[in-house]
Amino acid sequence: MPFKKTKSDAADALVLEWVLQVKNYKLNLDRNRCAGCQICTLACPRQAITTQKQPKQSDEPTKKAKVDIDLEKCNFCGICDVTCPYGAVKVIQNGSHDLAVLTKESYPQLIRDITVDTRRCDKECDECVTACPLSLITISKVGYDGQPVNDLSGLSPLAKRRVQVTLDIQKQYCPTCRACEFKCSSGAIKVKKCFEGKLAVDTEKCPPGCHECVDVCPITGTLTLDSKAKVVTAEQTCTFCGACKNVCPKPEALTVHRTKIFHTPVHSGAWNKTLERLTSPSDAVKEFKAQAAKTRRELVLHRFEVEEMKKK
Amino acid sequence: MSSPQDPAKPEALRVGVFVCHCGLNIAGTVDVHAVAEFAKTIPDVVYVKENRYTCADPGQEEIRKAIRQQKLNRVVIAACSPRMHEPTFRRTVAEAGLNSFLYEMANIREFASWCHQSDPAAATERAKDSVKMAVAKVRLMQPLQTIEVPVTNKAVIIGGGIAGINAALDLAEQGFKVYMVESTQSIGGHMAALDKTFPTLDCSICIEGPKMVDCARHPNITIFANSDLVKCEGYIGNFKVKIRKNPRFVIPEKCTGCGECKDACPIEYPNEWDNNLGTRKAISVPFDQTVPLVYSINRDYCIECFKCTEACGERDAIDFDQKPQEVDIEVGAIVVSTGFDVYEPYDMPLLGYGKYPNVITGMEFERLILAAGPTGGKVIRQSDGKKPHRIAFILCVGSRDKQHYPYCSNFCCMYTLKHVVQLKEKYKEDVEVYVFYMDIRSPGKGYEEFYDRARERGVNFIRGRVSRIDEDPVTHNLMVHSEDSLLGQPIEVEADMVVLATASIPKKGSDEVARILNLSRDANGFFMEAHPKLKPMDAPTDGVFFAGACAGLKDIPYSVSQGSGAASRAATVISKPKWKIEPIISIVDEEKCKKCGACVDKCPYGAIRQDADQPAKIITASCHGCGTCVAECPSHAITQMHFTDAQVLAQIHAALETNPEDKILAILCNWCSYAGADLAGISRCDYPASVRAIRVMCSGRVAREFVLEALRLGAGAVLIGACHLPYDCHYISGNYKMKDRTDALKAMLTKLGMSPERFRVEYVSAAEGIHYAEVIREIDSQRKALGKEKIQAENAKLKPILENMLKRK
Repeated sequence: MPFKKTKSDAADALVLEWVLQVKNYKLNLDRNRCAGCQICTLACPRQAITTQKQPKQSDEPTKKAKVDIDLEKCNFCGICDVTCPYGAVKVIQNGSHDLAVLTKESYPQLIRDITVDTRRCDKECDECVTACPLSLITISKVGYDGQPVNDLSGLSPLAKRRVQVTLDIQKQYCPTCRACEFKCSSGAIKVKKCFEGKLAVDTEKCPPGCHECVDVCPITGTLTLDSKAKVVTAEQTCTFCGACKNVCPKPEALTVHRTKIFHTPVHSGAWNKTLERLTSPSDAVKEFKAQAAKTRRELVLHRFEVEEMKKK
Repeated sequence: MSSPQDPAKPEALRVGVFVCHCGLNIAGTVDVHAVAEFAKTIPDVVYVKENRYTCADPGQEEIRKAIRQQKLNRVVIAACSPRMHEPTFRRTVAEAGLNSFLYEMANIREFASWCHQSDPAAATERAKDSVKMAVAKVRLMQPLQTIEVPVTNKAVIIGGGIAGINAALDLAEQGFKVYMVESTQSIGGHMAALDKTFPTLDCSICIEGPKMVDCARHPNITIFANSDLVKCEGYIGNFKVKIRKNPRFVIPEKCTGCGECKDACPIEYPNEWDNNLGTRKAISVPFDQTVPLVYSINRDYCIECFKCTEACGERDAIDFDQKPQEVDIEVGAIVVSTGFDVYEPYDMPLLGYGKYPNVITGMEFERLILAAGPTGGKVIRQSDGKKPHRIAFILCVGSRDKQHYPYCSNFCCMYTLKHVVQLKEKYKEDVEVYVFYMDIRSPGKGYEEFYDRARERGVNFIRGRVSRIDEDPVTHNLMVHSEDSLLGQPIEVEADMVVLATASIPKKGSDEVARILNLSRDANGFFMEAHPKLKPMDAPTDGVFFAGACAGLKDIPYSVSQGSGAASRAATVISKPKWKIEPIISIVDEEKCKKCGACVDKCPYGAIRQDADQPAKIITASCHGCGTCVAECPSHAITQMHFTDAQVLAQIHAALETNPEDKILAILCNWCSYAGADLAGISRCDYPASVRAIRVMCSGRVAREFVLEALRLGAGAVLIGACHLPYDCHYISGNYKMKDRTDALKAMLTKLGMSPERFRVEYVSAAEGIHYAEVIREIDSQRKALGKEKIQAENAKLKPILENMLKRK
C-alpha cells in the first residue's frame, strides 16, 4: 500500500496524515490550545483551513470557533505551525519537527520577544503565574542548599535572599499578550507583542445582551462586561488573534485590525501574501517599503565601506 | 474531382454474378448452386460463375476473363463482407478495364452462411435475396472517378511511451517531420519507470534512455510534453490537429535543468511517477532521466514563496504567469500510442490493498527494487521499514476475472517471474518467495527458459486462486489463504509482504482521445483495430494508426515492433504526394435546389456552402460522404454517389419482393452496426435469417422515404443500425441527425396505427456482434408474436396514407 491520506478528528486533537512508503507527514492540531482564531485560516497558502462557529447552547457560554483542515488541500508545508500564536499546530515530518519552510528560509518565524530578569523578582511573588491566562508560566525556587523551596515564610531573611528564582515560560505556546508583564510589580518581565493592531467594540451596534466575544477570548481580561452588561475592551493585552471576530454575530460591531507583525527577516512571496491577508494591503505595503528602505541603506553603507577600504 | 458521367448512350446491361464458395465457409451452409441458379433467373444477368475462392488469384482471373469475354458492364460478387474484400475486387474489376464503381458485393458469408448455420434453407434464401438486392443496385450504378487530395508529409504521435518513441524515430529517420504529444512531463512511458526487463534482466532506463534522448535531439522530431490533444479535423493526408501545451511555469528554452530550484524548494508532494512511494519537490522533474529536461512547478502544492525564482536568478526561467498555449499543426497521418494504466485493486477488499500496509502492487514493487527508486533499491515494508523475508506474489489480480477485467493482461506473469528472480538473485537464501498463479503464460522468446530459471532458484509456485489475505494487527504480517489446486487442498502461507500482479487497464482519457479522433473502443475499452489480424495497426479512421498497448496489452518487444510497424504504415500515407479518396461524396442538382440552406446546418463537416440566391455548393475535399445532407434535403436536390436514393430504394424493392411481412429490413451504417453485424457472423452467433440488410455509409443517410417505402411494401419490421451516441459516429453526428428524424417518424407511424416494435433504431458498435444477434432475435420474436395477419392488417391500413405521403414528396 503506497500512499494513504488519513484524517482523524477527536475532541482534543485533529490529526492529518500522509503515509508513504518512505515518508510520513503528520499535522497535529491541539484543540485545547487552539483558540479558534483567524490566524491560520488567513496564513494558509492553500486556503485549506476553515473556522466554523459552533452552535450556541442557551445556558452555556459560547464555544470557540472550530478549526477544520481540508485533507485534500493541505500540503503539510507547516505555515500554520509557524504562524499559530498559540502554538496549537505541529507539523511533523518523519518524526522530526524540522520544517522545510524554515530551514529553506522560505517563511519567517514570529518573534516572541520575552525577557525575564529574575534578579528583580520579589522572591515571594508568583503573580505572573496566576496572571498568565494560558498557564504557561511556572516558577521554581531553589534554596542555597540546592533544595527546592516551596514555602518561603519560614526562612530567615538571609536564606530568603539566597533563594534563586527561575521562571519558565513555554514560549512556543505564548501569544505574547503581556498580561504577566502588567501584573509584575517588579518589572522583571518584558514582553513585546508579535502582533500589533487595533481592537474596538461598538457597543451601540452590539445585539442586546450579547457577550459571545467575551466568552471566547482566550486572554482573560481583554474583553469584559461592565455593570450595564456592555462589552469593554482592554487593547493592551489583546493578541489580535480574532477569536472574538469569528463568533461575533454582528460583523460591524467588532473590529480587529492587525497592523504589524514581528518576524524574522526573510524574503518570501508566501509571507508577503500571508502578511497581506493577516493585516491589510496598505499595512503590508508599509512593511515592504520599510524593507526596501533597509536594503537601500545597507547598499549605501556597503559602498561607503568599500570606498573606505579603497582609501586604506 | 468527379461528377456522374452519364453514359453517352444507354447500353444494354450485362451483369455478371460470381458466387464464392469460400471453401466450405459459404458452401458448407448455403446451397451455392441454388444461389447461382437463382442468379441466372434475375433479369439482366447474362453470366453466372461459381468459384471456390473468388479472392484468390484464379478466382480474380475468372472475373477479369469474364468481363473481357462476356463484355460484362456490371459485376456482382456474392462472397464475404465488403468491409473485407471490396477494395480487392475493385482492383480486379479495374484491371479488366471496367470502372471499379460498377460492381457490388453481396455479403453471403458474414450475413448468411456464418450466422444462420442452424437453418441452411433460410440462409440460402437470404443469400438469394442478397444477390437480387445487389443486382438491383448494380443496375443503377454509374462509373465514378477516384478523387485525389494532396498529402502533408508530416506525422503526429500521440503518446511518448516506448511504442511512440520507436514510431517517431523510425518516421524521423525516413525524413519525415514528426510531432510527438505527451501528456506527462516526460516521454518514456511505463518503461522508464521499470527496473529491469524480462527475460534478459537488462536495466530498463539504460536501454530506453538513449532512445528518449535521440528523440529529443533529432532535428525532425518536435516534442510537446505536458500537452494534450484538443481537437482534430480533416481527413487522411490532411489532418489539422490542435494541441494544448499546459503550463509548467518554467520556460523550456531557458531552463538548463540544473536543479538549483529544486534544492531551494521547501515543499514536497507524493511523486505519482514513483507510484507515490516517495516524494518530489513542488518544482522538480519526475525522474532524473526526464526528457525533455525541463522542470515543472505543481501549483496544486506550491506555496509561492518564490525561492525557486531566487535560485534560478539570471537564468530567469521561471514564469508564474504562464498560460496554457494552443498550437495548431498540420499532419498527414496520426499514430496513437497512448498506452495503458495499472489497476489499483482498492475494490477487492479481500486482498486488503489500501488497508494493510504491506500489500503492494507489482508496479510499486518495481519502484522499491529499483536502485534509483525512493528506497535506493532496498525492498522494505511500509509498516516497519524492515526487509521482508517471506514474500508472496499473487498473479491475475483483476485480470481473467469476470467481475473486474475478463482479459489476460499479457505481461504480469513475466514481470512477476522477473521480480522473483531478482529477489532470489539479490537476497539468495535470505528470502522465501511464493507465487500464487492460475497459469504461467510465457509465450515469447526466452520466456519459458526464464520461468525455468525462476524454478531453479527455488521459488515456490502454488497453483491456486487466493481467496483472502488477513493481517496480524501487531506484526503486520500477512496470512495468504488459497487453494492448492494441484494438491486439491486449502493452503495458508504467512508472508511479510504481498505483491499483487494487478491487471493493466485502458488508459484514463482513452474515451476523450477516441472522441477526438473518431475511434471506437472494444468491450474492454482498448481501441479497435480496422481488422484484428490483417490490420492490427490501422484504426477504422483512415490515416490513423495504433502502436503499443492502447489497442490491447503488449509487452516491450511487441510494442517496439508495433511502433516501427505503425511508422511504416504511416509512411505509406505521408510518403505519397497525393492520396486517393473514394468518390462517394454528395453532389447538388442546382436546378432542383430551392436554396433553403437546410443542408448547410446539417452537414457535420461544414462542407456545404449556400450563399444568398445561389444553389448549395459542396466542398469536395471536405465532404466525407456520410449522406446526411441527402436525407435532410427537402427538395431531393442532393445525391450521394454510389448510395443514391434510387439505388437504395431498388435494394429495398428487391429485398421485399416476396413475403415482405416475414422479413426485417435492416439499414446498417458501414462503420459500427454493419461491422457489428459482420462480427456476429465472424463469431458464428446464430440469429434468425429473416433479416435483409442494406449498407449505407452512415445512419444519417437513412432518409424517411426508405422507412416509409419499406413499410409501404409491407415489411414485417424495419431496423436502423447506428453508431452509439454520443461520440461513436464516424461522421461526428450523423447518428444524432438520424435520431431526430426517426424519433418524429416513429411517433407518427405509431399514431397511424403501426405497432411500435415494428420500427426500431438500435445502436450497435463494431464490437457488439452478440448484441446485434440479440437485437435481431428480439425483433424476430416480436414480429412472430404480432403474427402475419396483424401485420398485414396494419399494412393495409397504412398503405394508402404512405402512398399519399410518398407521392407528395
